[in-house]
Amino acid sequence: MTGNVWVVLPLACLAAGAFGVYLVARFATRHNGLLAALTAVAFGAALAALAVLHPMVTPSDRPTWGPAAPGAAFLRADPGALTIAGVALGLGLLVAVYSGRYLALDRRYETYYPLLLLLVTGSVGMLLAADLFNLYMFCELMSAAAYVLVAFRRHTSTAIEAGFKYLVMGGAGAVIILMGISLVYRETGSTALPQTIRAPGPWARAGVACLLVGLGLKSAIVPLHTWLPDAHGRAPGSISAMLSGVVVQSTFYTLLKVCLGLGFPARSLGGLLIVLSMSNMVLGNGLALVQTNTKRLLAYSTIAQMGTVMFSIGVGLHYGTLSAIQAGFFLILTQATTKGLAFLCKGACHFYRDATTIDELRGTATHMPLIGVAFSVALAGLAGVPPLAGFASKWFVLRSALRSPGALGIAGLIVFLLSSLLALGYYLPLIGTLFARQVPEDDRPNETTAVSPWMALPITLLGGLVLAIGLYPGPWLDWTADAGACLLDAVP
Amino acid sequence: MNSETAWLVVIVGAPLAAAPLLLMLRQRGTRAAGWIAGLAAALSLGGALALLPALERGDVPALRIWWVPAANIHMWLRLDWLALPFLVTEAAVTLLAVVYAWGYHRPDSRTPAFYALLLLFAVGMAGTTLAGSMFLFYIFWELMLVASCALIAIWGEGERRGAVALKYFIFTHLGSLMVLVGLLVLYGAAGDDSLASLQGGVALAPGLVTAVTALFLAGFCVKMAIFPLHLWLPDAHAVAPMPVTIMLAAAMLSMGTYGVLRFPLSIFSPAQMAPFAVPMMTAGVVSEIYGALMALAEQDVKRIVAYSSVSQMGYILFGLGTLTHDGIAGATLHVVFHAIVKALLFMGVGLVMRATGRRRIAELGGLGSAMPVVAVCTGVGALAIAGAPPFCIFDSEWMIFSGGFHTPHVGLSVLAVFGSLLTVAYALWFVGRIFMGTRAEGTTADPLPWAMVAPTVLLAALALVSGIFPAPAFYWVDQALELILGGNW
Repeated sequence: MTGNVWVVLPLACLAAGAFGVYLVARFATRHNGLLAALTAVAFGAALAALAVLHPMVTPSDRPTWGPAAPGAAFLRADPGALTIAGVALGLGLLVAVYSGRYLALDRRYETYYPLLLLLVTGSVGMLLAADLFNLYMFCELMSAAAYVLVAFRRHTSTAIEAGFKYLVMGGAGAVIILMGISLVYRETGSTALPQTIRAPGPWARAGVACLLVGLGLKSAIVPLHTWLPDAHGRAPGSISAMLSGVVVQSTFYTLLKVCLGLGFPARSLGGLLIVLSMSNMVLGNGLALVQTNTKRLLAYSTIAQMGTVMFSIGVGLHYGTLSAIQAGFFLILTQATTKGLAFLCKGACHFYRDATTIDELRGTATHMPLIGVAFSVALAGLAGVPPLAGFASKWFVLRSALRSPGALGIAGLIVFLLSSLLALGYYLPLIGTLFARQVPEDDRPNETTAVSPWMALPITLLGGLVLAIGLYPGPWLDWTADAGACLLDAVP
Repeated sequence: MNSETAWLVVIVGAPLAAAPLLLMLRQRGTRAAGWIAGLAAALSLGGALALLPALERGDVPALRIWWVPAANIHMWLRLDWLALPFLVTEAAVTLLAVVYAWGYHRPDSRTPAFYALLLLFAVGMAGTTLAGSMFLFYIFWELMLVASCALIAIWGEGERRGAVALKYFIFTHLGSLMVLVGLLVLYGAAGDDSLASLQGGVALAPGLVTAVTALFLAGFCVKMAIFPLHLWLPDAHAVAPMPVTIMLAAAMLSMGTYGVLRFPLSIFSPAQMAPFAVPMMTAGVVSEIYGALMALAEQDVKRIVAYSSVSQMGYILFGLGTLTHDGIAGATLHVVFHAIVKALLFMGVGLVMRATGRRRIAELGGLGSAMPVVAVCTGVGALAIAGAPPFCIFDSEWMIFSGGFHTPHVGLSVLAVFGSLLTVAYALWFVGRIFMGTRAEGTTADPLPWAMVAPTVLLAALALVSGIFPAPAFYWVDQALELILGGNW
């Protein structure tokens, strides 16, 4: 094994952390705060390793790790993967801190923290993987952790049902991905990524199509999205934040990396994504309108958000517009922070006030001012209200889409605008409910509740970030700009 | 930072700083909230007036900071003659609305939040007029909507306030999105987001010019509540608490006019705008007549005055659509004068509602002897809105109609003039019904707080004085026109 050790170090920190936290929880202490802190340290170490790696990645040099033979590397760092991995690790860190109090609901620490770490290990590994085999392994590691975490509240039948549905659909996706990999391998005799397939025959084409479908299923592309509302709606709030904030997005980036790396023409991939994005936006927003459960509402809005990411990146690939791809990455960043914040706030409402349906959120702002305000910031951010992060990303997406004139782009743009109007129809009443007075029949506590610092800190940080990105998007935009450029470089 | 930029910062900064202060004070600030808000609003107005000498000297006070260098976006505040009438109107209306609120609003634990949101609403409007870059313009434009929507949703009257606020938000946001697309096309064409570089003209394909102009006009007409895009207005105005209604009607509606003047009219040449003249004039006349008819048919006093806004905005759009010096000058003047008169009418209606506790016109009558001051002030407002000399709206309507007769579309202009008869009808009927005739059974006239009466009297006096001496306002507006027309019209 040779190469740049910093590439493998983030993964090593996470995996070692998972193992270590399990041992500590099993044999040493069952103090929740301590375990959360340990998990956070593992995330922090991985983030630090990533920060060291970041400047080493240049347009001419992509650090790799693996066997010395050319094209045999296991892992390769590119700016796009690093950007999303950074977002995943950052959100993971905050979620770990948040769980320091939130997990008092369900005290199986030795399962939860290692699985949280493994979830992110899988996701980061999948982003960095430089060949299809490793990619598959990491993808399945991520999925396996996700299945268990979705069904974590095993005393409720709905969680078990959601976990099982996710397992069945995700398993089917995994089989399709595996089939795709074997078809590609049959044609070229290699699992390297990227690889040029000379004169692709029907088997290679079918293989790439299988990979597209399998990874598309895991990225909740309509009509393969049906598992998502259940999974994201039934998982613990902290896990929903991870699933909706980064897992779906990193799978989507992997899809792009694989398809472009195996020679799928960028123009057709972009066109396909624009078409699919419209159904994501329409269906996600339309179904979110009729939800009564807060988390399912947020889950459907995730489907719509994936649609906006697909639209932006699709426009970029279809018309070769760099700024649209950059806007897509910026969108991934803003959605991770905003959606993460929304789910963490929802989790706090569940934790302190046992609120699940939208009506039960009444009185939140009165009794927990911090949560009420932060939740409103998240929802307004998702709705794209200036000066929050969501608005800045909407501005950049619209700007770059307007620069790429074409019938497909304009059609997508109109759907994008109308669906952002549609989204107001569920975000605004939700904000209104947060600030409404509690109805007298409601038997839940009717006094001011103090929020534990374990939960208040990540929520405040994320809330501040949503505002900061919106008010001062410059540095964040620069950070995601390289990621966009690298994706366009990968275009064959 | 010289004194000019300092004042510029004060205009936006004073209310912007006071709002979080009020929120942090929470219950402790209940008593002081009104005074703090009043002070902030007064500072904002003072800042606007303090910059007058600089404008006279030919300076353009500006503050420019790099914001997103990668995308050529600036944080840019600047005050020019075009923005001035709108800024002063907005700041003055805010100050008067805050003073009116001292009497109107009964203090409770949420009072500081109420004043904080009023100030944020004002920041949105002041920022919209001062923004020198498109990104900032849109942020303030939406802040205006968010703050006013929150005010309606939380302090609105009646059970339907949540639904009304949602309708208001979605409707107005639809307009904002059209504006946003227009802005982004211009931004893409110009390469940076400064309004100054747009003023010099942008190179756009003819089809795109038409599309962008249409988007801007439709988007701003939503804010101006032009028929048939007015649907949000009657509900929002009727449900909002009175100080908010005053700010909505007297100041926020005119932001749509500002948008039309600032974007399509300033950027595109008369030849490019010419195809939109007849549609704008027609929409103006239709809105004028429709609003007046609806005002005649309404039973709720607040909704009557609200529909009168739809009608008055019709005059303004008609004036803008003439694309002549007189028409545009009249329309801009009408913004200022309509603000005075509409604030006056809403204040009068608010006083009647406060004194009697009723709002259906059928239940009111003969109040003139019980509350003579309010009767005289509201009467002045009604006469002014009917366009009777020597009150101020007569002057601006004169200019608007004169503009209309400078165009070849004389038929439309005649229609506009005769449509104003309907305005006379509803205005006089409305005042006559409330203050004259026999006293309605069981009406009481409770004593009224001075904070509500004083601004009403002041506005009535202003309606008369500015009607007799329109020269100062006219001078401001004329300077703005030179900026837009630049002698090419």
